[in-house]
Amino acid sequence: MHFLFPVFLLGGLAIAVPIVLHFLRRDVAPPVPFTAVRLLRKSPVARSKRRRLRDLLLLAARVVALLLLAAAFARPYVAGAARGSTLRIIAVDRSYSMNAPGRFAHALDLAGRAIDEAAVGERVAVLAFDDHVGTVAAPGSATAARTALAAISAGFGATRYSEVFTKAAEIAAGDEARLILVSDLQRSGWDGEDRSVLPAGISLDVRDAGRAASNLSVVSVSVTPDRVIAAVRNSGPQPRTGKIRIEHDGRIAQTSTYTVGPDSAVDVAIPYRPPSTGTMTVSIDDPDGLSADNSRFVVLDAVPSNSVLLVTSGANSSGYYIARALAALGGTDVGRIDVRSSTAAALADDNLTKYSAVVLLSTRALDRRGRESIAGFVRAGGGLLIAGSPEVEAAVVSAIFNWSSSMTGTIEMPAAVALSPTDPRHPVFRPFASLSANLGQVRFARAWRMTPDGWDIAARFTDGNPALVERREGSGRVVVFASDLDRQWNDFPLHPAFVPFVIEAIRYLSAPHDRGRDYIVGTAPAGADLRPGAYRVGPDNRSIAVNVDPREGVTKEMGQQEFAQRVERVDTTSGSSGDVRSIHLEAGQSYWRYGLLLMLLALVAESFVGRA
Amino acid sequence: MAQTSTSRDLRFLDPAVIARLGTMELKARTVVEGFLAGLHRSPFKGFSVEFAEYRQYLPGDDLSTLDWKVYARSDRHYVKKFEEETNLECHLLVDVSASMAYCGGAPMSKLEYGSVLAGSLAFLMNRQRDATGLIAFDDRIAFRMPASARPGHLHALLLALEHLKPGERSDVGRPLHQLAEALVKRSLVVLISDLLDDPEPAIRGLRHLKFRGSDVVVFQVLDPHELTFPFRGPSRFRDVESADEVTADPASVRAAYLRELAGLTLRYDRELRGAGIDYVQLDTSQPLDFALLSYLSARSRRK
Repeated sequence: MHFLFPVFLLGGLAIAVPIVLHFLRRDVAPPVPFTAVRLLRKSPVARSKRRRLRDLLLLAARVVALLLLAAAFARPYVAGAARGSTLRIIAVDRSYSMNAPGRFAHALDLAGRAIDEAAVGERVAVLAFDDHVGTVAAPGSATAARTALAAISAGFGATRYSEVFTKAAEIAAGDEARLILVSDLQRSGWDGEDRSVLPAGISLDVRDAGRAASNLSVVSVSVTPDRVIAAVRNSGPQPRTGKIRIEHDGRIAQTSTYTVGPDSAVDVAIPYRPPSTGTMTVSIDDPDGLSADNSRFVVLDAVPSNSVLLVTSGANSSGYYIARALAALGGTDVGRIDVRSSTAAALADDNLTKYSAVVLLSTRALDRRGRESIAGFVRAGGGLLIAGSPEVEAAVVSAIFNWSSSMTGTIEMPAAVALSPTDPRHPVFRPFASLSANLGQVRFARAWRMTPDGWDIAARFTDGNPALVERREGSGRVVVFASDLDRQWNDFPLHPAFVPFVIEAIRYLSAPHDRGRDYIVGTAPAGADLRPGAYRVGPDNRSIAVNVDPREGVTKEMGQQEFAQRVERVDTTSGSSGDVRSIHLEAGQSYWRYGLLLMLLALVAESFVGRA
Repeated sequence: MAQTSTSRDLRFLDPAVIARLGTMELKARTVVEGFLAGLHRSPFKGFSVEFAEYRQYLPGDDLSTLDWKVYARSDRHYVKKFEEETNLECHLLVDVSASMAYCGGAPMSKLEYGSVLAGSLAFLMNRQRDATGLIAFDDRIAFRMPASARPGHLHALLLALEHLKPGERSDVGRPLHQLAEALVKRSLVVLISDLLDDPEPAIRGLRHLKFRGSDVVVFQVLDPHELTFPFRGPSRFRDVESADEVTADPASVRAAYLRELAGLTLRYDRELRGAGIDYVQLDTSQPLDFALLSYLSARSRRK
């Protein structure tokens, strides 16, 4: 048994009060020498004994009540509470480096053996990971785990270890467990990871699935008007020479040769004037290494810009700050956002399909056609940002999508209320970094009261009310900011965090219309497969290139011992107010409720005994 | 009957006064002489050391027994009848158990009161030239002085009474049985005890004595606190003999206690009187002549 706030156990010292009173009360009854005690013993003695028993029961009830109260405030929880049996979590690396000849089969064999080693009654879970972790088999029987294991195949993602440990801790949920990680132990899997934490209650067993001796990969391609420059990396110990070729729309357009030294990279300049449209592939041959990184896809189409429509009230101040914030991106080709403004009344006549996102800052004079236009735009894949403000009527917004009771009026906020991201990894907040503290300096005077049912909450006000929520509507996405963006209900536009907030929110909403062309497998928009290639996506059928993460092609491995040393072990069973896991564990168990209930029962019993 | 004593007499018989007197002999003498002086002024008739009764003269009576004063007043002939000289043995049984040392609301402890009572009775007996003996006991016989009427015996008996010390637990029945077995002639047995133990053994022992032909008189000596239970506030009542404790609020247990005591008294009274045994309950805060008067009154009623 552990306690989240053990300092409250000191409150248990309060039991000294009834105990001292009990003994003081005893002193109130001084000894009196007497002779006819035998006569007192007849009927009075029984009553006296009853009284003594009653006093003891009263004392016990009061002491128990105080102890339970102190224990309830200390928030007890059981760390590593057994759930019937131990847990074995098997994580299988499915990154594309596992596609080396025979490697993944070996990994499956190791994983299968790990399942076989499970004791009777031991639960087995299976995870598959690359740069994302998926639960292939939830904790259950070994048979189910074997079945799930057979369905895993190596993909085209890159290795990332940290999420595996996070997921394992999540599955173990405080229980003791054994994590068996089957991987080729690529060193690149730790790139960009500050620290990986694994609860001390989870033992780590690393099993090496083998490694490739060498690998050649095309790690990047840049295009100039008269040539193509490809970077070729050799991860092997021997120098390599070979041919590199350019294919355009499926036909070989140019070839060249390269020579690259051991464990180094070389830029290969290929004299080729690429066309202005279509896709191009730069490839090498590497029959002994990984195949997924032998080709790199490039889109040659011109970069279009995103376009955003601000629906304003028509006043000059309406949309002023958000337009200025988006203008901060300037006229650069990459990520440029064109801003257009319109009133709600004119919305019906506007063709919204040319916009990637719409920002609704006013619903004044927004008629039925305008509402239908917005709804159609979002359901077709558009993004909609709604700002709670005096110009936006919650009822009209709800009518657009037939929401019920999402916005239930406005709330006046005390001066101390600020913004607090619920999920710092949310795309809107992820790039904030040092500016995240600035969010806490924004002061909100008023906001919509949001009912979070059906919404994902990305940020809350510090008083607990939802601040930034989102939900999917059809193929599109709606984000609601519960306060306004025109400096009427807050001073947000005056803070440095406003600009990145607006830009990232618009980028997030424009993602389906993202005009970017180069993606890593797994990050590409809908319409692209989870494998390298050239795809056409989005309503405008634009071309994108999806390539593997080049870091995965660097076949530098590490030993099992070194690997294990990279994992920081933390004792999450020790109670501490700052221990988030403990907090979650305690919140899940909520033994304090039972403590308070028992305390009430003790007090009820005390009152009954006291009356007896 | 007790109300017949004057306040002047009570001043000398008051236990507070008696307690301040020096020796047991002085105490006993004071009690008895004060008691007898009170009797002279009382309407109570028929008590003297030798005098028994008046009877009309009958031919053949000894003329020396004729009361000429009565004849002068009434012009009738009456003769005085004198008690026959007896060889009565009186055994004074004094309980010296620890409970007898209890002194709650009276000037004397029960043991002191009982000792003075025993001494007073011895004094009376001695004036009647009866043999008097003393047995002190708790759960066994602690001291024994055979009955005797010899000169000097009274002094020794009173001295022994003066030096009685409280003993341990009481067991009234055992010494009574022992005495009953030891007595070979008709005797008067006076038991002075608080009789707060189990009444059954005591009653059996007293019946045993009675069965053996002895006259038995029982003085149950109780302290006013035992009789009225005047305590206030929650207390832990610790038995002076067994050290048992009972924690109780006197206000809540008083009625039940007094009921128990009354039941005990009633049982003694009923069962002892039924066996022909005199039973007198004494309050140590009351003058001793009450005890003597009660005793003699009871004795007179039986003659």
